[in-house]
Amino acid sequence: MMINDHLSTDLLVDYLHGELAPEDDALAHAHLASCAACRREYDLEVSLSETLRAAARAEEREMPSMISALIWERVRGARPGPLARVAALLRPMVAVPVVAALLLGGWFASPYSHPGTRPTVDAMYYLETHAAQSGSPLSLQPGPPALETSMIDGSTSPLIAEHVESSHVTDALDAAF
Amino acid sequence: MGVPRAPVEPPTPEQAAFLERAMTEYGKATYNFALRLTGNEADARDLCQEAFIRVYRAWRSFAPGTSFLSWIYRIVTNLHRDELRRRKGRYQEEIPEDNAPQEFGGARPLAVTPIDDYVDRQLGEPLSKALALLSPEQRQVLILADIEEYSYQEIAEIMGCSIGTVRSRLHRARALLRRLVERAQQQQR
Repeated sequence: MMINDHLSTDLLVDYLHGELAPEDDALAHAHLASCAACRREYDLEVSLSETLRAAARAEEREMPSMISALIWERVRGARPGPLARVAALLRPMVAVPVVAALLLGGWFASPYSHPGTRPTVDAMYYLETHAAQSGSPLSLQPGPPALETSMIDGSTSPLIAEHVESSHVTDALDAAF
Repeated sequence: MGVPRAPVEPPTPEQAAFLERAMTEYGKATYNFALRLTGNEADARDLCQEAFIRVYRAWRSFAPGTSFLSWIYRIVTNLHRDELRRRKGRYQEEIPEDNAPQEFGGARPLAVTPIDDYVDRQLGEPLSKALALLSPEQRQVLILADIEEYSYQEIAEIMGCSIGTVRSRLHRARALLRRLVERAQQQQR
């Protein structure tokens, strides 16, 4: 840009908005001081901006209260989504008691929390008693198992009972043939 | 206007306080900005409401120390643009972009009502009505540059475009407005 060149409208608009580079701004400023035609053009641009601002000020109004009321209605009437509900469960105030309750429940449900009723089998005692009942020394000879009863309630084990029952059937068949 | 309503989650106390303050301090500016962009109260109300809901939802993404007004103007601008796209057909797209010569007659179609038609119908109306003649993007840039007095850089950030685009839109919008005013003055004589 040369100081004697007339300023284009676009350049005047940029000058008006303070958007020219410092050197160009200085040249435009110097030119406007000496060129009546460009000064007139510039004044028109200034007045356009001022008119726009004045019109905007004149028409300015407050935000209607119904807008904020509607916004609050939407915000306060909102229901949490599925993710938010899961996240709420994970909050410490809820999560800590829930985890504690689960741990306690798990402990009381486990057999370790009742040492007196824990079903334990002393294998050696069992074998010695068996040997004493059968009148034979402790041996590991194969043979049909004796009808055993549960140490807890005295009932016959279903598996053993089935074995005994099937032996009776075999004996009956042997007798028939 | 029919701006699509974004789903909302119930507020935390901090979120509610943020929204309250945002509406108290910037509600008027936001509403007036929306009003100038849309040119009518019903659309401005919808736009303003949806903008604050967006603010409410994204409140954590606001960086303290930056301009809240620029942020919400950007939200309003984007919502308005999206809405205009949805209304495709009622509006033509913008006047061809940058670096095109500033001619308003001839073969290149205008995105707006022809000036003569406008002058015939709108003579004597306030200047702000002339804003309705500009393309939405030209109107946005004119409002931001001349009424809100943002720099080209700030406008580019708000509108999500380059400074060159801001400059060319502003030049074209002002040239069109000047022509409108001159025509109106000639008709009045």
